[in-house]
Amino acid sequence: MSEILAPSAALVRRACAAVLLLALAAPAAAKDTGLIFVSNEKTNNLTVIDSRTYKVIGDIKTSRRPRDMHFSADHSKLYVACGDDDVIDIIDVATRKVVGRLATGPSPETFAIDEVRRRIYVANEEGSSLSIIDIDQNIIVHEVPTGGEPEGVLVSDDGKTVYVTSEVGDVVHRIDAAAGHVDDDVVVGTRPRRFAATADGRELWVSSELSGEVDIIDRQRFAVVGRVEFLPPGMRKSDVTPVGLVMTRDGRTAYVTLGHAAHLAVVDVASRKVLSYILVGKRAWGVALSRDEKTLYVANGFGDDITVVDTASRKAVISIAVGRVPWGIVVDD
Amino acid sequence: MIDRVIKARRPGPLRRLHPKPGLLAACAAVSFLLFCRLLACTPASAQDTPPRRILTIGYVEIAGDPRYAPVMGEDRILLKTRAHPYAGAEVSIDDAQALRRVLPVDFALARISVASAEEVAPAVVQALERRDIHLFLIDAPAAAFAPLAAAVRGRDALLFNVSAADDTLRRELCAPELIHTFPSLAMSMDALAQFLAARKWGNVIVLEGPLPADAQAAGAFERSAKKFGAHVVAHERFKPGTDPRERDQNNPTLLTALNRDYDAVFVADDAFDFAREVPYRTQRPRPVVGSIDLAPVAWHWTWEHNGAPQVQARFQARAGGRHMEGADWAAWIAVKMIVQAALRTRATDVRPLRDFILGGAFDGDKGVAVSVRPWDHQLRQAMLLASPYAVVASAPVEGALHRLDDLDTLGDDAPETPCHLEK
Repeated sequence: MSEILAPSAALVRRACAAVLLLALAAPAAAKDTGLIFVSNEKTNNLTVIDSRTYKVIGDIKTSRRPRDMHFSADHSKLYVACGDDDVIDIIDVATRKVVGRLATGPSPETFAIDEVRRRIYVANEEGSSLSIIDIDQNIIVHEVPTGGEPEGVLVSDDGKTVYVTSEVGDVVHRIDAAAGHVDDDVVVGTRPRRFAATADGRELWVSSELSGEVDIIDRQRFAVVGRVEFLPPGMRKSDVTPVGLVMTRDGRTAYVTLGHAAHLAVVDVASRKVLSYILVGKRAWGVALSRDEKTLYVANGFGDDITVVDTASRKAVISIAVGRVPWGIVVDD
Repeated sequence: MIDRVIKARRPGPLRRLHPKPGLLAACAAVSFLLFCRLLACTPASAQDTPPRRILTIGYVEIAGDPRYAPVMGEDRILLKTRAHPYAGAEVSIDDAQALRRVLPVDFALARISVASAEEVAPAVVQALERRDIHLFLIDAPAAAFAPLAAAVRGRDALLFNVSAADDTLRRELCAPELIHTFPSLAMSMDALAQFLAARKWGNVIVLEGPLPADAQAAGAFERSAKKFGAHVVAHERFKPGTDPRERDQNNPTLLTALNRDYDAVFVADDAFDFAREVPYRTQRPRPVVGSIDLAPVAWHWTWEHNGAPQVQARFQARAGGRHMEGADWAAWIAVKMIVQAALRTRATDVRPLRDFILGGAFDGDKGVAVSVRPWDHQLRQAMLLASPYAVVASAPVEGALHRLDDLDTLGDDAPETPCHLEK
């Protein structure tokens, strides 16, 4: 099968029913606003913060339970997966208003965008599936069954492969994007959550929340070839619940949020060694780097705030109160 | 003995794994198979893949087990219906479908229904001997376990207690063949006492009913209260009924009319008919805990963290809309532990599975990973303190600290128990 299959009639009907047309007004230039957007699961909004002053300058009402967020390539749009309304909200970055919605499967959590093919791949936590959405037509063109509670989604640079974690199955699925089915699985640690790909494209790093580790997958062999374990000083292994991870563009350094252990780990990618632990807030999950990679932002889910970290000194600089249960962070810079 | 094997059913979405190949393709496949059959050959691909093994897990229950009888008010009002936790085990079998491609094992449940607690042990032995089943979920009251442990002693069997809270199973019986995924009474009461102490609601009246289960619960609560610095200011025995001459024993207002103040009322009433009359009928305006209002449970359908809503949704779809409860969770995690053991050890024999289960940590969708205590084989786990429509807190509560593992602040810790299977 080389083509993406036609959606079932029911899916099309459902998608169409949920469509809100994109605003036709020409989008104003919105690049480099220097704004930080934080999704708050429980207050159904995004907190907007000025990265120069660290002041909250407003909020954006979204559909219920906003979680993962991604910008369009030109940063004019911000896509926000909203778990309790089964949609991805489209926000116009310049006006900071919801201007459209894409229908997803049940309880979308994280997603990845392929701008070339104009596809969004979204993991539906409750539906145990990955929806493939055609952004322009606003329809689910295909639904790929996954293991229980799929979460992390990563699409390869060439757009041919999509990786998805299943939290229940403890596996990473490798999905053929064109054919729309799983072509292989690899078993990882307990409750795999999110991905980061190394800059050389060889490795996939996966956070395994309950085994307190990051598993390293060789993409060529599609096998686990290594593991990074964490234990910040004074913490217990059972508190170490890694979830969020990002890598620097040079591929040298990875930052991993450790959930209930309230720390951020700094990892040397080549040696797979932990270089340092930085104290952040309660249940640290979402993490984002500024474009110049001098600043890190961490969402503290049970602290209702975010921590701003200076990467050079590896110290927390300031905490900023946001909404209830912050999930993710993106920066428009 | 009713006995049927339920093979793992493929859940809906997986049927669409290879989406509609079309009628033609299906016909072609069928004709090809027929053709092969005629030539007495098998498709080449079938010879290349390793054969799939089946791992059957026994699920033993008692038909008409009174623990699942409807709860009645005054013998005529239906207050609650209850169900065997079999659907919990089924959800785990469904969940294992995601592993089909990486693990050449199919998991199945054999539901074995017997007529009485006495028949549990012979049924297990029979399944062990005649059907080569070595892993069992035991959904039976405490009385079934001593003969059961004796019957399987020295055999390759591993039994999961999924619904009996009785502390004596973890203390005096102390059987290496058993793993208790259902929380002990001591764990539940410790969770409640921790919560009351943390809220500084430490002065409690205990109201104890006439049943042996009520005495057990009240006794366990007294021990837990002492452990966490709560104080039982009065311990009254109630007698359910409407006899006006016994109103000092059947009237919640009179039973709680003390000169001394108290912070909360603990009710131990397994029959429930008295407990339902206690809230709002206490002499002072005080919260009620125990058998009603705030209860310590292994699972509650409103718990919204750690992936719990997804488990609850899968359970409800499987169980005809019923809410998932503590025993359902205990059955779910028991099968999940077996599946994980098979996945990580690549074995289907009971010995390597047992070793892995006793040493591993598992994702119970309750936050911190769950694991088996080496001394009494109780599964250490977080407990939820739930009111009818919300989880008020989870235990260990913040500040309940243990030198090794905070989960061991709930239930019998190694120095407290007479049972030492680790030695």
